[in-house]
Amino acid sequence: MMDFKIDTNFYTVSQVRHLTEHAFVVQVPRRNFKFTAGQHLVLGMKDDYHTREYSIYSGENEEVLEVLVKEVEEGYLSPRLKQVKEGDSLEIHGPFGHFGIEEKKRDTHKHVFIASGSGIAPFRSMVKTYPELDYQLIHGVRTIDEGYERENYSTDRYVLCTSRDDNGDFKGRVTAYLHEQEFDKNTQFYLCGNSQMIFDVLELLKNKGFGRDSVSAEVYF
Amino acid sequence: MNISDSERVRSVLERIGYVWTDNEEEANLLGILACSVRQKPIDKVYNKISQWNRWKNKRNLVTFISGCILPTDKERFLKLFDLIFSMSELSQLPAMIRDYGVVTPGALDSSVTAMPANENIFQLWDVKPNYQSDFEAYVPIQNGCDKFCTYCAVPYTRGREVSRPSQEIIDEVAHLAARGYKSITLLGQNVNSYGLDKKGEEITFPELLRAIGEAGNKLQQKFWLYFTSPHPSDMTREVIEVISQYDCLAKQIHLPLQSGDDRMLIKMKRSHDLQKYREIVQDIRQLIPQATLFTDIIVGFTSETEEAFQNTVEAFQEFKFNMAYIAKYSPRPGAASYRWEDDVTNDEKKGRYQRLTLVLKRHAYRYNQSLVNKEMEILVTGKDRKGQYLQGLTEGKIITRIESLDESLIGKIVPAKIISAADFSLTAQLA
Repeated sequence: MMDFKIDTNFYTVSQVRHLTEHAFVVQVPRRNFKFTAGQHLVLGMKDDYHTREYSIYSGENEEVLEVLVKEVEEGYLSPRLKQVKEGDSLEIHGPFGHFGIEEKKRDTHKHVFIASGSGIAPFRSMVKTYPELDYQLIHGVRTIDEGYERENYSTDRYVLCTSRDDNGDFKGRVTAYLHEQEFDKNTQFYLCGNSQMIFDVLELLKNKGFGRDSVSAEVYF
Repeated sequence: MNISDSERVRSVLERIGYVWTDNEEEANLLGILACSVRQKPIDKVYNKISQWNRWKNKRNLVTFISGCILPTDKERFLKLFDLIFSMSELSQLPAMIRDYGVVTPGALDSSVTAMPANENIFQLWDVKPNYQSDFEAYVPIQNGCDKFCTYCAVPYTRGREVSRPSQEIIDEVAHLAARGYKSITLLGQNVNSYGLDKKGEEITFPELLRAIGEAGNKLQQKFWLYFTSPHPSDMTREVIEVISQYDCLAKQIHLPLQSGDDRMLIKMKRSHDLQKYREIVQDIRQLIPQATLFTDIIVGFTSETEEAFQNTVEAFQEFKFNMAYIAKYSPRPGAASYRWEDDVTNDEKKGRYQRLTLVLKRHAYRYNQSLVNKEMEILVTGKDRKGQYLQGLTEGKIITRIESLDESLIGKIVPAKIISAADFSLTAQLA
């Protein structure tokens, strides 16, 4: 009998949701892909060796696997991904990374998620995975339309900080919002997005008495 | 890692009748085990294969490439080399050579190489290596990497971390030591993550070191066991405690820092900060004060400011490394940082490299100077470049020139008195 192996890294796109002109969610069936909320995967198009890392946007227990993609102008993969449609094949590897909620702190701590732009992706996965989680999500974007699928979060837990319009919950950057806030000592912070935001928030939290043990970070660029 | 892999490739080739030659120009099979961590070695591959392909006009020659190869390079190498295979396909090399010119289906289909599967890596470890030296050997204990540092493409070329069965490692080390090998190095991308991919089924890294230490105690042979490289985020006090308890576990630690600036470490996704590194060094100084400390550093990483670089300089002053492998940052295709702006100029990178080297030299020299007039054990590794002295390494891997030409000492650990010190080396007389 012929010996052959089925490549399990190829997934068929089941849905693409365009959230803004440049942001969209790509969905495939989860099959046996196991991951922990906060981890990322590596995604590529079939027959193309270019791949990129994307945080997983869907929850651990959902039947689908989703990533949130922000199109990069003059980028290679994201403009191509924007063109994918239901039935197309994608190559997915993973999961990778260690970003996520420490199990022992999950029920004992308050969790503050701080994201810029598409850095919200791992936090949506966490919220979907742990519906009972005591969390607050602070999302920094330029304009209100970038508050991607904010209906997923209860309004008392979600703060949209918009730096270029007045339509969010707070006008200004996340750092300006955080500056005005007080946090319980047993708060765990999670930062995801661009490095400058992460550096600024780390400094701010340090000044509020929260050291690196209280902060996890995932840099996107 | 590539030395260990090449020993296994040599073993496979010799088993099918090939004879090793040191003369590249007379070989009829030439190959490269590539390293994709930096651009420079890959540039050398292109130079080498263009030379070899010119030689093909004059004689029969088969070329191959394996090792760490990024998908982008792999596509180009397919056109330049006769054979291309991943190390996990090594057992199939004889068949590939028999079918000279026919590459494996896996090598032809670039889409399946985006993240190489690692499940066949056990076949590589089954290959008995043909050790290149009679006294120095490298023993792989894991393959792949799970850390995803943003400047590095290794996880894309070698795949996920897979730990080799511990009993195989312990047996190989014991076998080598019993045969008289004096310097044995455990190899892996993150050696101290050993066993974490098989939690509960495999022993941990400190347990592996302890088992080797116990095996070493039972042997009558003296040897030094090293490991490279550990990752600070998985480095525990237990590892250092175990090293302190066994004579055969060499008192030399290579602990990559990469940057002394916490912001840079975050951007590099190193998952440790300076304080964590500091605590490890404190443990080393407390438990094995005689240990030498080596590190790896990248200067000029994307967005590294002068202030951030100064933090690395301060880290060098604080940790007083004996040796540092300082690399000027070069973006690697396949690594996350490849898409970030390489915004530190080459001149600036060069300047930071030189400034950091000066700090390193100062501390290394001070340490070396403190060894003058002391008697130390030296592993004699050969003659120096000019052939006028023997050359060797201390247990802490400080290069030592020995005032002797007694070649019978090569491969032995001998007592010697240190008579002078330089920045990165010592001179000794046989005791």
